[in-house]
Order: sequence, then structure tokens, then C-alpha cells
Amino acid sequence: MLAPATPAGDEVQQSLYAKRQKIYPREVHGLFAVLRISAVLTLLGIFYGLPWLRWNGHQAVLFDLPARKFHLFGLTLWPQDFILLAALLIIAALGLFFFTALAGRLWCGYACPQTVWTEVFLWMEHALEGDRLQQMKLDKSPMTWRKFRIKASKHALWLAFSAFTGFTFVAYFTPVADLLHRLVTLDLGPWETFWLVFYGFATYGNAGWMREQVCLYMCPYARFQSAMFDDSTLIISYDDKRGEPRGSRKRGTDSLRAGLGDCIDCSMCVQVCPTGIDIRKGLQYECIGCAACIDACNDVMDKMGYAPGLIRYTTHNALRGRPSSILRPRLFVYGGLLSAAIAAFAWILLARVPLELEVMHDRNRLYRETDAGLIENVYTLDIVNMDDRRHAYTLRAEGIEGLIVETDPPEIEADAGEMKKIPMRLRADGARLSGRSNKVRLLLTARDDPRLTASEETRFLGP
Amino acid sequence: MKLIEAGRYVPVPQRVIAVLWISFLMAGAATMVFFAAIDPMQLKNCVDFPEVGRTAAYSIGFLLFWLLTAASSLFTTLLLYPGAPANAPDNSSRPSR
Repeated sequence: MLAPATPAGDEVQQSLYAKRQKIYPREVHGLFAVLRISAVLTLLGIFYGLPWLRWNGHQAVLFDLPARKFHLFGLTLWPQDFILLAALLIIAALGLFFFTALAGRLWCGYACPQTVWTEVFLWMEHALEGDRLQQMKLDKSPMTWRKFRIKASKHALWLAFSAFTGFTFVAYFTPVADLLHRLVTLDLGPWETFWLVFYGFATYGNAGWMREQVCLYMCPYARFQSAMFDDSTLIISYDDKRGEPRGSRKRGTDSLRAGLGDCIDCSMCVQVCPTGIDIRKGLQYECIGCAACIDACNDVMDKMGYAPGLIRYTTHNALRGRPSSILRPRLFVYGGLLSAAIAAFAWILLARVPLELEVMHDRNRLYRETDAGLIENVYTLDIVNMDDRRHAYTLRAEGIEGLIVETDPPEIEADAGEMKKIPMRLRADGARLSGRSNKVRLLLTARDDPRLTASEETRFLGP
Repeated sequence: MKLIEAGRYVPVPQRVIAVLWISFLMAGAATMVFFAAIDPMQLKNCVDFPEVGRTAAYSIGFLLFWLLTAASSLFTTLLLYPGAPANAPDNSSRPSR
């Protein structure tokens, strides 16, 4: 941050940002392109498909915010389960640390929504405007009817896809069939409309217009990921020892005899780069680790008859000829923490009892004596059945010998997701009380599943 | 003084986006934590609040959080911005136009 500022440096930043040159990434083919496309199709398939998936008669994944319930397949989560969400976020953060330490910005290159949607928008642009050179030519040419038609159809396609994306986003919060019906009949609520437009517009802006600028100027991860790097992290690097001195030459030239390195200076690695950098200048924070330059360079090396891997995933230590092991303490620490967080998450999930019981003593009266000479206390039970099916429960009270439990109604039942308030009376023989205040434990157990037990402590008051 | 001289001029659009985007993320996190703990329907009993549903309450809550976090980010950038006089003869921290 304390690097001396020069006016020249400012102009570079200025031109890259406000008056930036549009980057036209050239299409690539190769191993990493296949990996990236598979990741894009899988992730988008999940995103667009999941709201339509049904599970036991309801939408499989639905964050029902108005009802304050999250449905995840067979599981219903309540605000009380917030700790699970917190654990999930911790897992995500540790996962990011682990994979960044292992192989750099895997997240950015293959899984980040910005990458994924930009990729799809580039496909659409390519389909309508042609390849890199055709796109550049079209942008340079004066406005003609043909240019207008191509540009208009591109933006129409982008906008339609963005609107569908916004619709899908809202479908995670409103049942999709209902949402579709109300969209078609123009009966959407104001907030559903707002979020649909907001998310759709964000997709259009970020993937259509902003693209690499999101990574360069908006992404905090791009700036702090270097903290998780070390000299043994696998990063995409140009092997300068092998490549330099670079220079063009005829196909089949022996590099050594010509006094050149293996880099033929064809600039393909720069042309395919979605952030427009030159990987040969070393690792830069602009590099999102998409490996497009690896594919492009390997292709060129193949055509020249040279060995592949002039640009490759390797470590700084390996490039400098130092002994290097990818398995190192940092990786074990991150991996250990990650495993621990996953184990904790699984434990919380498995040990979770979808039943809640709370007991409140009647405020107006501490106790009363019944006609039969027993001491009676009155309470209200708050029961929440957080399971996704109906249960009947038995209620027991422990702590005083011969304690009688009475509820109204006597049979306690609750539907899936139902919250019930039930009045309860406890009666005990005054002679069996140990003092004015006695500890009582209440146990509520589902009849069809003894693991569904909630317990709560309260006080039984006497004279 | 050295720090201010070293500070780079950051173009306005970049500053706007840096303020809005990071505060957007933080507002999202704050909304999640806040409404997981507090049901807006219960909040309504404590404060005099117009009659709105939960979805509207979450959305308004989020936008209010965003306003708050964006204000915080904005004031931070204002304080970090070098306070050089606008008509100084040699204002090298800004690019010449």
C-alpha cells in the first residue's frame, strides 16, 4: 500500500477502470477449459434446477422467510438452528483457506458466480457477435443497421437470461410454482418484484458489463488471498528459465541453436486472459487462476513441437529449483481445522432434536390447595414440533414422589411445524415437599420415537 | 504526511463501488444474524412500526443495514482521502487532465 505513487501508475489505473479498454478474451480449448465448462454447467444446473425439485410433496429447497423456516430436503431448520448456519459459514471460510493454500485461486477460476455467469455471457456474446477478431471489428465499425441488430439482440438475450436468473433467485424464497403463476398473471408482490429486478440487473451488470472489473476492484478475496499463499502453493506460473529469451521463430526451430527460450512471444496467453494480464510478468493479483493461458500455451507448444508446460500449475519453490513439498504444515493446519468444523457441523445436525419445550409458571398464583388436600401449581407449556411430521407425545414429571401431571387436553399432539400453548397442572402431596421451592424436571417424548425427547426444569412451589 | 503523499488517487467510480459493494456484503451478514435472532413480528410489538409483512420487514431491514454500513464505509474513505488544497500549484496526487 505504501508503494510510491507515480502519475503514470495513476493513469494505468484510470485507464483500466473508468476508461478501460474492453477485454475480448479469445476462446480456448484444452483440459482446463473442459474442467471450467463442466464446473459452470454443474453449478448453473444446480442453481437453476434446484427450485423445481420436489421432496415429499414440498419444494426440496425453500428458504421460507415469511414463515421463518428453511426446508432442505427432509430437514426443516428453524431460527433456533442458527448455529448450523454459523458452522456452515465457518466451514466455507476454512475451505477457502485450505484450497487457496493448496492451489491458489481455485474458487475464482472455477466456482465463483462472477466467473460462472461471465463465462455464460461470453458464450452468448460469441454466439451472436462471432469470435474475438469479429467482435473487435464490430465494435470499431460505425453504427449500422447490422451492428445495431446484433448489439440489440445480444442485450435482449442477456436481459432475458438475467431475468430468468432473478426469477430463479426469488424462487428460493417463494414456492416456484406459485411464483411462476403470479408472474404470468402479473400478480407479484412488491418485494418479490424488487428482488427479481435487483438480482436480474446485478447479473446483467456484473456478467455483461463489469466482468473482470468485479475481480479487480470489488472483490475483497482478491486482495487478502495472498495471506494464504506461500512458496509451496500451486500457482499458475510462466517458467521464465525455460521461456526466456522469448522471440518469434519458424516452426520446428531448435530453441537452443537459435539462442532463444521456448516462448515464441505469440501473445496467445495474453489474448485468452479474461483479466487482460500477461502471466509472463509473474503472479499478479489480477490473475483469477482460470488456467486459460495454460491451455492456450500448451496448444502453441504442441504446434511448435515443444514439450507442454511452459505455463503450468507449479510452486514458486519448484520454479526456483528449491526442494518443495505441497504437503506442508500450513496445509495440515487448515485441513485439520476444516475437518474439525465439518465434524462439529455433522454432530450438531445429528444430535439435533426437532422438539422444543418451554415451561412457564403461572404468574398470578404461586400455588393452591385442592379439595383433596393436595398442593397444585399451574403452568403453561410452549411446545414446538420442529419435525416435518405429526407426533403424539407423552409428558412425565420427575423430582417429587407421587407427582400428578394433568394437561388440557390430556393428549398432547402437534402437527409438523406447529407451535402449541398447553395449560398444565401439577399436583403433589404437601408432606412430600422438601421446602417452599422444589425442583421438577419435565420430559416430553414422542410416542413413536423415544429419541425425540425434550426436557425442561421448573419449580414447584408449596407453603 | 508521508502516508498522505503515498496515497494514490482512486477514481470516483471505483470508490463508489468499493463503498457500496463491501457494505452490501456486510449488510447481508448483519441482516441474517439480526433476523435469525429477532422475529420482526415481535419487534412490531415493541416499537411503533407501520403494518408490514415479514418479507417486507426483512427487505426494509436489509436496506437500512445497507444504508448504515455504506455510511460507515463512505466516511472511512472520506477520512483516508488526502486533504490537499484544490488549487495547490503542484497537486501531484491527482492525475493531470
